[in-house]
Amino acid sequence: MPEYLVNNQRETEAIATKLAKNLKGGELLALSGNLGAGKTVFVQALAKALGIKENITSPTFVLMKVYDLKKAKINKFVHVDCYRLYRREDLLEIGLEDYLIHDNIIVAIEWADKLRSLPDRAIKINIELLKDNKRKITIN
Amino acid sequence: MKILAIESSCDETAIAILEASGHSLKLQKNLVYSQIDIHKKYGGVVPELAARKHVETIIPLVDNVLGKNKLKNMDYIAVTSGPGLITSLILGMATAKTLAFTNNLPLVAVNHIEGHIYSNWLSNSKLAKNTKKYLPALVLVVSGGHTELVLMKGYGQYKLIGQTLDDAVGEAYDKVAKLLGLGYPGGPIVSRLAEQGDKQAYDFPRPMIDKQNYNFSFSGLKTAVLYTLEKKKNITKQDINDLCASFQNAVIEVLLKKTIKAAREHNVKSIMIAGGVAANTELKKALIKESKKIKLPFFYPDLKYTGDNAAMIATAAYYNIFSKTGDILKGDKVFDLQPRSNWQLSKNKI
Repeated sequence: MPEYLVNNQRETEAIATKLAKNLKGGELLALSGNLGAGKTVFVQALAKALGIKENITSPTFVLMKVYDLKKAKINKFVHVDCYRLYRREDLLEIGLEDYLIHDNIIVAIEWADKLRSLPDRAIKINIELLKDNKRKITIN
Repeated sequence: MKILAIESSCDETAIAILEASGHSLKLQKNLVYSQIDIHKKYGGVVPELAARKHVETIIPLVDNVLGKNKLKNMDYIAVTSGPGLITSLILGMATAKTLAFTNNLPLVAVNHIEGHIYSNWLSNSKLAKNTKKYLPALVLVVSGGHTELVLMKGYGQYKLIGQTLDDAVGEAYDKVAKLLGLGYPGGPIVSRLAEQGDKQAYDFPRPMIDKQNYNFSFSGLKTAVLYTLEKKKNITKQDINDLCASFQNAVIEVLLKKTIKAAREHNVKSIMIAGGVAANTELKKALIKESKKIKLPFFYPDLKYTGDNAAMIATAAYYNIFSKTGDILKGDKVFDLQPRSNWQLSKNKI
């Protein structure tokens, strides 16, 4: 269970970039952490490292945004936000199932702790805000 | 021509009838059923609940609006087909497609944001009467899901010149309200408390204010509010008011500066605001003042048209037809229309 202590946004981005380089496709990333912890920053850096040129804007309002990638192996990045979610069925309603378990798609779910259960294969990323704007990032 | 419009992109079910010809817009009916009380306790819209409520309300609302004349004399059906929640969009669209197909009426697919922009035409008759005089226009689109600067060159001609890189303005208000334990929706609550607060009390960052582009970022501002909160021990009512006022002040300053700068750079003939956050009085006041300084007319929608409604969808449909820039489907082609939950206004239409 790698654990990182980061001092600023740039360091958070570096960890996300490093993680992105190790992704092969088909992964499910489950992010948790309070409002302002830096989940969006993490996902934005990750997406950038995957080669997405578009802005990764918050999917809070529409719950899910799908980005196309030109990489041969990974061709879609799906960004999900459970912040406003009440029932996990809502994710099925918006069609998340279509994107799960495809080895050419990467799915990142913010506020994943709102989902009562996650598949075992999910890579769990927790960002905890510590004193003095430092953060602890745990990946397992 | 007479248009029946249906809007169901989020948590409002809305139906309107517009009678329009030339430069005259006559709104005949405008009904909005808001689900806000249903979603309040969850702190945000629950898509499944929203969809179920749309199912219950949409047909009675259509019935109510049409009355005994039914679709007699109707020329077009218009419907919001994105952006929005897909589960909500499909209900309005299914209703519109069915009505269009069974009554052999053409169906106009309207972009929700374009609808918000046209709420200005509905609210300002001089804009409707003399559109040419006011275009190109710089439009600040601000809502729960959007924060964009759009250059409107002509009917149906939009260029996105800047947008938020993370959270939308309305979303930032909602999240700050949540941090402060104020309830949902955040916009009206935060701006009401801000009236009693000192906007200079906290020096929050003005994200990206000096960047040479027209993009925005509000995620970090929310985090700054969080940091301030964590440092404070006893938080009084006045502290909350001051936090609201200082947060709002930072938001407005960034929106204002970029809007005015973009308006000057693009040599527009007017400035407009559109979307749910167009209800914010302080933001409007600031824009009125600054537009005056650079001698540009500033248009804003009537309060009743700032939230989601079908009157604006009917108006956008009318101008789509009028300027031949819209997506109009006929016969069984109406069933080809699909919801586009992330439909960008400046990208090509369907």
